[in-house]
Amino acid sequence: MKTINTDKDRDRDKEAKKAAMKELRGVRKNLIAAASATMKLQRKELAAIKAFLKAEAATIPQIAAAIDMPTDKTLWYMATLKKYGQIIEAQKEGAFFKYALNEADNPPKKAEA
Amino acid sequence: MVPTNTKNFDTLVVGGGIAGLQTALDLGDQGYSVAVVEKDASIGGKMIRLSKVFPTLDCASCITTPKMSAVAHHENITLFTYCTLNSLDHDNSGEDSGNKFPGINAPGVKATGLKALITQNPRYVDPIKCIGCRQCEYVCPVHVPDMEQGGLSATKVICIPFSNAIPQLPMMDIENCMLCGQCEKACPTNAIDYFQKPERFIITAKTAVITTGFDLLPVRDNVQYGNAKIPNVIDSLQMERLLAPHGPYNRVLRPSDGMEPDSIAYVQCAGSRDKSTGVSYCSRVCCMYAIKQAMLLSGSLPLADIIIYYMDIRAFGKGYEQFYQNAKAMGIEFIKAKVARIDEGENGQAQVRYELQDGSGIATADHDLVILSMGMIPAWNPGAICPVSKDSDKFITSIKPKISPVLTDMEGVFVAGAAAGPKDIVDTITESGCAAMEAAKFMSKRLVEN
Repeated sequence: MKTINTDKDRDRDKEAKKAAMKELRGVRKNLIAAASATMKLQRKELAAIKAFLKAEAATIPQIAAAIDMPTDKTLWYMATLKKYGQIIEAQKEGAFFKYALNEADNPPKKAEA
Repeated sequence: MVPTNTKNFDTLVVGGGIAGLQTALDLGDQGYSVAVVEKDASIGGKMIRLSKVFPTLDCASCITTPKMSAVAHHENITLFTYCTLNSLDHDNSGEDSGNKFPGINAPGVKATGLKALITQNPRYVDPIKCIGCRQCEYVCPVHVPDMEQGGLSATKVICIPFSNAIPQLPMMDIENCMLCGQCEKACPTNAIDYFQKPERFIITAKTAVITTGFDLLPVRDNVQYGNAKIPNVIDSLQMERLLAPHGPYNRVLRPSDGMEPDSIAYVQCAGSRDKSTGVSYCSRVCCMYAIKQAMLLSGSLPLADIIIYYMDIRAFGKGYEQFYQNAKAMGIEFIKAKVARIDEGENGQAQVRYELQDGSGIATADHDLVILSMGMIPAWNPGAICPVSKDSDKFITSIKPKISPVLTDMEGVFVAGAAAGPKDIVDTITESGCAAMEAAKFMSKRLVEN
């Protein structure tokens, strides 16, 4: 026998899922709050890096000094941006490499590193 | 709750590293049905995370990936990744198990030799629906340290562990997920499942091979080398990632500030052969992998000074001594000394204080990057999970170490690779073939007897 999913059934499923998600969010309240705080900070710091790189390519110490971030943390972010294709390695300056925004690259839609 | 889901195999291989993969292939090719249970989200073990292997300098990934693929596509081999082994023991169905492993001796389960209780941990992704497109990873807004890259870069809360992982399935780090729903919206096949729960099942098998491998002694436990708090002092597996072409920086850079290091030092026996760390034995492979890494560094940074502080060089395998001599000829400096302590130096350097073994005293040197060749320790403790015996070094006991090192004190249970003690890849592969042969012999004998 064929089961026909009516609009009513779909609406009911949607409502049930919504209620289940609400319950799950309640259970994981503390974890979600911590993850949200982390995400907000990361988004701010990544935006600062990208804004600085819009002007010119720069080395890790130059970026770190400009945005007042520890150099190891800056490198951690830069390695991640590079992994997701948002920056590219530019020329070398002394013992450091410069990094530039990857303007030519088309990262996956809605991508946010 | 007693799991009702039971799967029957000829052999259960515990661990999906190179030892487990080789054992599974050797048995699968003979027509035996094999289950490989792996705790990580991908098979491949430590070897898939290495850059190159000694003494041939072959690409580790180029050797391991075909084996991973062969196992994944083998008609006689079934993979169970991201699973926890809760218990493994002889099947005592019908007898009183003394409730040692609750739930394992479920009524109605046919006795076939060994029985393992496994938990499939939730990935929060439906493995049937997922097509491995990584759209979930791209849109996820939360970054977490990428432990596949030694924590030197970040990944997303939902991600495929590494590019050539098998299976190509993402997993969600639920502790750091904020349930924003972006991954669910981006998934083209509706594979995201926030409600996934751990699932328990039973595997019965005639034999089992333990191939659980090793871990490195954590640097944080080493007080004299800075408890992992000194910048630019890393362990050898982190260095493997720096040397790998798909590593965190795609080149060798100092983790503290991205500088290309000009002076690099290896500290041998960092943890090994040291009773105070609980690793009184020699880890056997550190000399050779340090030499290998030094040679690779010499290729990628030809102007850098590379020094290896060692107590004695143990180049025991075929071609290893020549490899060592080649390294010396390439200009890598070997200093026979015991490093007493490492402190934070100036400008991100690490200050190494060492005692020269020729009796000429104590010296200090500053290096841009220091790699600690940490001791190898067992990755798995059978503890209350499996009644197989351990040696005083905590590795699995081989009851006949000379004539058949893969035999354990449990009938039908064999051991291969670094689970039985530190060893290199060559010996691991050889031992895996041996374990497969012993398991096949055991099953054939049982067949004849019955």
